[in-house]
This record gives sequence, C-alpha cells and structure tokens, in this order.
Amino acid sequence: MTITATASSSLAERRETVTGRREAWAAYLFLAPFLLVYLVFLVYPLFKGFWISLHDWELVGSYREYIGFLNYEDLWYDPIFWLTVRNTLTFVALTVPAMTVLSLALALGVSRRTRTHGILRGIFFASSVFSVSVVTLIWQMVLNGERGLIAHLLRSLGIAPIDFLGHPFWAMPSMVVATLWWSVGLPMALFIAGLQQIPGELYEAAELDNASRWTVLRKITLPAIHRTVILVIVLQIVLQFQVFGQALLMTQGGPADRTRTLVQNIYHTAFRDWQVGYASAMAMLLFVLMFFVSMLQLYIGRRED
Amino acid sequence: MRNSFLAALLTGTVLALGHAAPAHSVELNLIRFFGDCANEYGNVTELDKAVGECGIIQVLTNKFNAENDLGATVNTQTVDWGTYYDQLSATYSTGSIPDIAVMHRSVLPNFTTRNLVEPLAEGFAEVGVDTKDFAPAALEAVTVGETVYGLPFDLHALLFHINMDLMEQAGLVQNGQPVLPSSPEELLQHAKQMKERTGKNYFAMESGASEFMPVRLFNTWVWQQGQDVIAADGSAANLDSDAGRAAAELLATLYSEGHINSRHDYAAAEQAFLAGDVAILINGTWVVDSYSTQAEGGEAGLKNYRVANLPNLFSQDAVWSDSHLWVMPVDQSRSDEEQKAALAFLAFLNEHNYDWARTGHLAVRTSVLESEQFNALPQRSNYAETSQIARALPAIPGQRAIQDIMVSELSSIWLAGKSVDDVLPSMQRRVEQTLRRSQR
Repeated sequence: MTITATASSSLAERRETVTGRREAWAAYLFLAPFLLVYLVFLVYPLFKGFWISLHDWELVGSYREYIGFLNYEDLWYDPIFWLTVRNTLTFVALTVPAMTVLSLALALGVSRRTRTHGILRGIFFASSVFSVSVVTLIWQMVLNGERGLIAHLLRSLGIAPIDFLGHPFWAMPSMVVATLWWSVGLPMALFIAGLQQIPGELYEAAELDNASRWTVLRKITLPAIHRTVILVIVLQIVLQFQVFGQALLMTQGGPADRTRTLVQNIYHTAFRDWQVGYASAMAMLLFVLMFFVSMLQLYIGRRED
Repeated sequence: MRNSFLAALLTGTVLALGHAAPAHSVELNLIRFFGDCANEYGNVTELDKAVGECGIIQVLTNKFNAENDLGATVNTQTVDWGTYYDQLSATYSTGSIPDIAVMHRSVLPNFTTRNLVEPLAEGFAEVGVDTKDFAPAALEAVTVGETVYGLPFDLHALLFHINMDLMEQAGLVQNGQPVLPSSPEELLQHAKQMKERTGKNYFAMESGASEFMPVRLFNTWVWQQGQDVIAADGSAANLDSDAGRAAAELLATLYSEGHINSRHDYAAAEQAFLAGDVAILINGTWVVDSYSTQAEGGEAGLKNYRVANLPNLFSQDAVWSDSHLWVMPVDQSRSDEEQKAALAFLAFLNEHNYDWARTGHLAVRTSVLESEQFNALPQRSNYAETSQIARALPAIPGQRAIQDIMVSELSSIWLAGKSVDDVLPSMQRRVEQTLRRSQR
C-alpha cells in the first residue's frame, strides 16, 4: 500500500516536473523574440559602449587604442561635463514635477467620457505627434527676441522685448515650457487610463459624505492612481534626462552654456569631435545617473506602499 | 516570320540598350551644403540664369550632367550646413561614402590626418587642372606637406557691408569714399557719431550663442595685433593674452554701448541692414552678389550699397578667411570609371571658377582673379585686397570644436553678462584642452 502510494506520488511529481519543464520552455519560447531584441539592441550595445569607453576610439577611420579608465579620469576633471550634468539635472528637476502636475491636472479636467472631453483629449495629445524640429521651430517663432510673437506683443505694449532663448535666466525655462507643451500628451493619457479604473462607487460614497473636491482628490483619486504617478515620474525622469533636440535646436546650448545638456555634449564629442571613446564614457555615466535616480524613485514609491 | 520579327526586336532592343548604357553608366554621388534648390533650377543649364551659391552649384551640376562625354551623372545629396560634417563623417561608418564632397579648409585637417581623402595631384594632371594657376592662399588651403588633397573653389572672408547713405548722414564719407576707423578708439568714436547723428546702430552682426561672426571678428583683431590665435603647430592657444584682451574688450564695449544689437541672429542682422536700419553689416563675401542685386532693385531700404575690406584697427592688415574645397573621400570600392568621372567633374568646376565667384566669393585661380571679366563684377575692386590680407587658423584638426567653444565663451559676454576677465581664462583652458585631445 505504502509502496503503491509512494510510486504514485513520485509519478505525479515526475508528471509535474515534465509539465513544469514544458511550461518553462513555452514561456521561454514566448519570451524569445523580446529577449533577442533586448540582447541585441540593449544589452550588447551597453557592454560594447562600456568597452568603447575604455579606448581612445575615433568615429571615423580605424584609430583605437586601449587606455583603461583614462576617459573617466578626464571626465572627472572636465568642467564642461559637470556643467552639462548640472544643467541636465536642473532641466529634469524643473520638467518632471511640472509635467506630472500639468498632465494630472489635464487628465482630471478631460477624463470624462463625453464628446467635448474626447475632442479636448485629442487636442492636448496632438502636440505629441510633432517631431522635435517642428516643436522647436514653433517655439522659436514664439520666443525669438527680435521677431517672435511675444516680442511683437511686448513692443506693441511699449515694453522692451526679451530675448528668451538668449537670456541667461529665461533660456532654460523656455526649453522647459516647449518640452511641457510637446510631451504632456503621453503622461496625460496614462493618467486618464488610471483615473478611469477608479470605481465610481467610491466617488458616490464621498458625495454622500459631503466630501469636498480637494478631499476627494487627496483621499480617493491620488491614492488610487498612486502607481500611475510613480510610472509617470520614472518614465519622465528617464525621458527628460535624455533631453537633446530642444537644447540643440532652440538655444544651441547657450547662452554661456547655460542650457548645454549631457546628451548634447555626448553628441558633439562623438560626432563633431569624433571622440567616441570619451563620449561613451559620458554615456555610461548618464546611464548610471538615470538608473540611480529611477531606482531611488521606485524605492521611495514602494516604501510608501 | 513571327519568330524572326521577335528576334529582330530583341536584337534591336539589346543593341539600343548596349548603345545607351555607356551614356549613363557612371553614377557619382556628391554631398554638399549650400542649400537645396533642385526644384527652382530643375534642369536649367544656362549659367547666367543662376543666382546665389545654391543656384550656381546646382546649374553647374546640371550642366556637367548634360554635357559631359563620359556618360557620368552627378547625383547630389544636400545636407543642412549645421549637420553636414556629422553626416559626412557618418558615411565612413555606414559605407555609403560619397564620390565628391564639399569641405571647408578649416575641416580638411580632420580628414587628411587620418588619410580619409584622396590625394589629387596626379589626377589633376590627368584631367588638366593646373595647380600652378591656384592663388598661393588657395593652394595652401588644400595642401598638406607636399600633397594636394582637394580642389580649392573659393576664398571667403569677412567684409564691411556698408550703407553709404547712413555713412553720409553721419559725416563719415569723404570724396565719395567711406571713412573707416583705424583704431579701436576711432571705431567707437564713429559708432557714437553714427548714433548721435542718425539714431542708428553703426554695426549689425549675428550674435547668438552659436553664431560664428563675433569669433571671426575676434580672430581678425588678434591677427591685426601681429599675434597668433592658435600657435602654428597647434600646441597652444593665445587667447588669454594682451591681444585677446584688446579684441574681447572691443567687442564687449560695442555691445555694452549699444552699437550692436545682441538680439540679432543672422537673419535679423541681415534684415536690419537691408531695411536701411544699420550702417555696417559684418558678414562674408558670399552675400555681395545678393545685396548688390537687392540694393539695385530699389525695393530694399538699402539704396547705396558699398563693400570694403576690413580696416586695420591695430598694427597690421589681416582678416579672417576660410575656403570651400572639393574633396574625394577615400573609398576602396570606387571603380576606375567613377574615379575618372569624379576627376572630370572637379576639372569642370575648376573651369567654372569665375561662375562660382559671381556669388561674391573670391576666385582661387590667378587667371580668373586677374581677368577683366572677374574684375567687372560688382564691388570687386572695393575688396580686392581681401585675398592678400586673408588669414586662417593653422591646419590643425578639431577647429570646429575650437570655434564652438570660442562662440560660446565670447557670446557669454553680451548674452550672459560675463566679464572679459572671466571669459578669457576659461576660453583659453577649454581650447587648449581641445587641442590636446584632438592631437592625442
């Protein structure tokens, strides 16, 4: 009896193992396309980038010389690199909170399933489909110190125009405003999706309790979309750290390098100066910086859970 | 019957194709800036119909395609000036290397130090390009050591573009000639006089955070003091120096006293000059043709246009210059026919050096420079000396980066209120770091 029971249980175990293996293989099979793309286009370039950063590696021609961590040592003493890190952090610090609040506000304003809200959602999302060159061109036409829309407006009011893109204080906020206008659509869509998941009964209960709109926002809406908020913040951090087109096309990094960003510096070092090794070292540090800040944000988010 | 008809048709087709094939058998890829005007000039081959850099090079290309007896067709890829060199560099990695590329003299050392462009002296001899006819400055622009690496196409330099009516109103015209300053003090005096008598600015110049004109002026003023901007061997910069200080302080004063509008970008500065709101525009040779035409047209605010060499404000004549060249990027897969056709195209461009010089650029062939035809072009006698006083940075790699650093640093004086004392050491340190890295 015991023998029979033992035999049947081991048979069942074997069956389970076989089934488990089959399931694992099936899972791997489904994962394979993604893993392949991930390995070829993300993991391999990451390691290759690190390998290049250990060389004096020129973009054009065949000059490659292994120099160990000399590029990283150079970076440590490169004031422009640190300036671009500071500028990028400033841009992220200005853009991410503003983007989160603005997109949430827009989402709250247009999340109802009515025709008007649908049209408004389309309008607010429309700017996201433009390329960066179109967006920067539009904002240059608005902000140009001599021929811009605002300059004409100020002149007609008898006020001296401000060269927003060439002004040491206004250049960075100008870039932030253009970025907000350009990319508020996606986080807004994420928030709308989050808001539409909240059960209507909660709001009905709050209404019965005579809760104010502010209380409803704090006690019901925000806790319910807590995860969406974290997702938006992490996505925005990763995205805004890589700010490039706006700085290159709107301000060209100026004035006095006040808007020169890390990716712009990487681009110039690699493509203008051909120093791909040095540029890769910068890119590695950008990766570490983005990874660290994103992890920190996720950690804070989880702790609050 | 039917079979023999088909055979005849087939034979005829093969013969026709066989005959037609060599007529269009060589395709050349050319990459350049100067803008895209293929729509405007389509298949125009009459050179007198072409205006401006883009028009003239487009019509020259059309003409070569229509008339060459090698069956060669030049396909042009136009790239925006700002990203041109990045794209050209990238072609070496992607493998789609062009057969012919335009290049600045200041960028050529990047390519010659890495053997990325073909030496051309032998090829030139084969197609009859006489390098002895190149003006000395032009030959120097394309030569490294003893090797010729490109076809010089022009010499372009800074000029004073003058509104003579405003100069007259300000009392700065004598015997029909503009009175130009001979020292920094006199320059500031003239600028003040202009403002007092006409209410207009003396100068206009592109002044943005990435616009090069102020750097070209700074270099000019350092050279006019008999100093180098960069040492001839590229080992050191001479920016944080007495000469650099004098040049930077003059620029700073012109902006701080309101003689130049710091909000002007290239287009706004040009617009102000053409509208007749500014006495002197600092711009290059490339616009002489266009401004002459507009002033004569009578629609622009500018009626009485005049060009002058940059005056010597210090101890010797000098002016910033650069050159457009044509090079043949190294490509192992280029066939002999393609090589031959590319050389033929370069020879064709060399033959038409006069046509290119109609833009306002200075010709590079002595025979053209001395020709009556060239000297009869508008304003040429007013800036003939420019080719004699033209200076350029030494042939070192990394000049684009150096220029960008200098623009960024110098513009921070008028855009961000930085002092000359802060700017000069910082500019010196950054340029020397670039010199070190680009020659490692």
